[in-house]
Amino acid sequence: MGRWTEERVLQAAPDQASIAAAQKLARPGPWSETGSNDVLVWGKCQGSGKTPYQVSIDLAAPAYRCSCPSRKFPCKHALALLLMWARGEAAEVRGQAADFAEEWAATRAGRAERSAARGRGEPGQQADPAAQAKRLAARLELMDAGMDDFARWLTDLARTGLAAARTQPYAWWDATAARLVDAQLPGLADQVRAMGAAVHGRADWADHLLLRAGRWWAVTRAWAMREGLSPEELADLRALLGWGTASADIQGTESLPGPWLVLGAHRSDEGRLLEQRTWLRGPDGTVVVVLDVAPQGQALAVPQLAGALLDVAVARYPGSAPRRAMFAGAVRPLGLAPDLGPGTTVAEAFAAEAAAVGLSPWRDRHPVLLAGVRVVPPAEGERGGWVADSSGDALPLADAPLASLLALSGGHPVDMFGELEEGRVRPLSLAVGGVVVTP
Amino acid sequence: MTWFEDLRTTALVGTARSAPPAVPAELGVRPPEGPAPEELLLGEAALADAASRASRRPGSPASAAPDPAPDDDGPQAAGEAARLLDLLLSQPPVSQGLQVRLVADWLRLAGQAGQRVPHRLLPALLDLASASEDVAGQLAPALGTRGRWLRAALGLGDGGMATPAEPPSEDWAELSPAAATAELERLRATDPAASRELLRAHWDGLGARERAAHLAAFTVNLGPEDEPLLEAALDDGAKGVRTTAAGLLDRLPGSARAARMAQRLEPLLSVKGVLRRRLEIALPPAPDAAALRDGIAPDPRTGEPDRLARLDAIIRGAPLGVWTGAAGGGPPAALALLKGEDRAIAAILATALARRDAEWAPALLAVRPDARLLGVLPAREREAHVLEALRPEARLFDLVTLLRALPVPWGQPVADAVLGLIATEKGAPLAAMLADVLPAALPPDAVDRCRHLLEKSDGDAARRRVLRDVVQYHSFRLSLQQSFRQSLTEAFR
Repeated sequence: MGRWTEERVLQAAPDQASIAAAQKLARPGPWSETGSNDVLVWGKCQGSGKTPYQVSIDLAAPAYRCSCPSRKFPCKHALALLLMWARGEAAEVRGQAADFAEEWAATRAGRAERSAARGRGEPGQQADPAAQAKRLAARLELMDAGMDDFARWLTDLARTGLAAARTQPYAWWDATAARLVDAQLPGLADQVRAMGAAVHGRADWADHLLLRAGRWWAVTRAWAMREGLSPEELADLRALLGWGTASADIQGTESLPGPWLVLGAHRSDEGRLLEQRTWLRGPDGTVVVVLDVAPQGQALAVPQLAGALLDVAVARYPGSAPRRAMFAGAVRPLGLAPDLGPGTTVAEAFAAEAAAVGLSPWRDRHPVLLAGVRVVPPAEGERGGWVADSSGDALPLADAPLASLLALSGGHPVDMFGELEEGRVRPLSLAVGGVVVTP
Repeated sequence: MTWFEDLRTTALVGTARSAPPAVPAELGVRPPEGPAPEELLLGEAALADAASRASRRPGSPASAAPDPAPDDDGPQAAGEAARLLDLLLSQPPVSQGLQVRLVADWLRLAGQAGQRVPHRLLPALLDLASASEDVAGQLAPALGTRGRWLRAALGLGDGGMATPAEPPSEDWAELSPAAATAELERLRATDPAASRELLRAHWDGLGARERAAHLAAFTVNLGPEDEPLLEAALDDGAKGVRTTAAGLLDRLPGSARAARMAQRLEPLLSVKGVLRRRLEIALPPAPDAAALRDGIAPDPRTGEPDRLARLDAIIRGAPLGVWTGAAGGGPPAALALLKGEDRAIAAILATALARRDAEWAPALLAVRPDARLLGVLPAREREAHVLEALRPEARLFDLVTLLRALPVPWGQPVADAVLGLIATEKGAPLAAMLADVLPAALPPDAVDRCRHLLEKSDGDAARRRVLRDVVQYHSFRLSLQQSFRQSLTEAFR
């Protein structure tokens, strides 16, 4: 395990306050018995109490342990220790790990063993096929009933009109969402809940609701004919409904070897959940997305640096391209790529999106790698800004840091990776002067 | 109306009141027979959803892409220096006041080292600069080509860093009144005589408001050569022009008007008392025609005339030498005789400030700790005068205003005296009121004393915070200096 950069340490922090606290702690004063080996970093930090806090970090997972009472995760002590280690100011390599770190690592290893055993279905954790089939039948029955109910709600909506729906209180949308959650359709529930806010928040609410209602209707039709769908189509539908696939089921499938180039990553706050999307491109040009989610207040997995080449195999979830994937092992950075590879024009990007919509009408986010685009600030009174390719075709920007894009590109044509969403692009990385940078 | 617009209309009112439109033939989709209208509508909405997402077209922005930035004009700050700026901008480990000072220091050091801000840090830096003049003032030259380009691209203006605009080629008389005044001010700064001639040549053709506004531009680089024009303006038909001219003549103690004012002031002053000598000031008589011309207020239509205001006008117009003449001594002697005459002293102080009279300023400072007087003194003399005022019994507010007017960093004697006051039992309020200036004001040699004061147990949290800020600021600035020294040695290796 290589030494982390300081940037990587900071990205592991749960919030800004932790970073500030860790910066202050990252000095030799309160620390003793620090050390590191291939997988562990450890040390003791004298806090306000009598006994120093024992801090251990497993770099591979990564996982953090500290005897302090903080509910932040990782806590400021772990971050501070990592910062000093990253700067080479503490935690030199030692042969023998401190007892408390060794002990913790052993416990973790034991736990991992047990969970792996569960995954393999070894004796003691034997799944009962009959019980499983029964559970599945019960779930499908619940979902069928929920879909019927949702279809009825949609036809009511169409009959009484969208203008009437807009006068409904937020609780009306929320109640529908709650019924969908009860029917094990959390993915649809999230969309309905979001619509409750969108009908009041968006200027184009009527078109948005009309088109989305059409898509929801198509979901209920597709569900009704699910027996006739291909495995990929069914998998896309399942993903939309929020019917998760257990990662253990994916781990068993054939994985694709690396090296994988990190095209870009985006963190978003999806209400109660933090979501991190990492877009990767394989040696054969396959593009996948790795999803990490964490509840509010907890840390997501350490983000991968855009432009990094990762020596790791990925296992893919079923569905149409670009497929969701997960790392099939420990991620080893191989270095940084000088650019993102060949990109497309704006028109080609739209054509690719149209083709993807043809395969899976549910998905509303598509990866695009644009070649030689220039950043165009918004005209007077406009918002957002644009990127324009060499033929003058332009794409509006979505929640993009315009000043940062301009500063990095200097108005020169650059290759840009981003996510296409509702006809706008959210830039996630740029290739500038032989390096890939994040706006 | 298109199909989609029809669809939206039906959807808004509901299928109970309006039937969904027929799907246009060119979409190549035949809707199923028989479903209820609401199902038909939802089906058409699903079609519209897929069709609209599969048929997006590139847009064309209303604005043009900015011309690409020219090549960078210097090496980018790298390594530790870049890391420290990033830290200061994104996660400052210090208070906001220190952040601003340290970023300004970074910019200055980078400018001296011939290095520029890394491109990726420019947006955060410009954000900070828009909120802080200290940072904005240090942007050049470390901002670099890319930074200047970015400001223009973002419409932030060039912040006065571009070369000044060429003088307008058209005839000055053709300019709008505001532009003409601005042009006159610009010319006034570089060539007072030319601007005077310009105004004199056009004087008769200008409106009253323009004459007053243009004349006010003479505040810059006012000199005795301007007197004839100002003297003539005292006869102007417009009151605004006369007032402006009188105000400018107040600042020329060698003028004929000043001599006339002296003749009005001298008879009013008389030394009285034997044991306790004092200067008595009589009120001026009603103004004659000449006094009215010189700008002394006439009797109001109703009520009593404000004779004290007339006296003020005379004091401000007369040379200060009248006072020393009447007192028979220098400015300190004159002020000693005026003890208790607050209004007269205030008028004298205003006069000395307007004329930037360095002879009167020290004497006035001794009786009135007005920080503006420091600005009149040569830089090297200011500290000595402040040092005299730094006494434990001095009023806190006066001390703070004086200290704030001193250029930073302070000399060692002032720093020692201030720290001495801060260390006293009642020093905490002084520390708190100087919190924002102390870090940069105390010279490096004073920092050790701050450290000692910090180590002494002190229950006053505010004082501790101020002292800690000073120590933190200096240690961070040391890191900045080292980081740039490092990068220089690396560059030469």
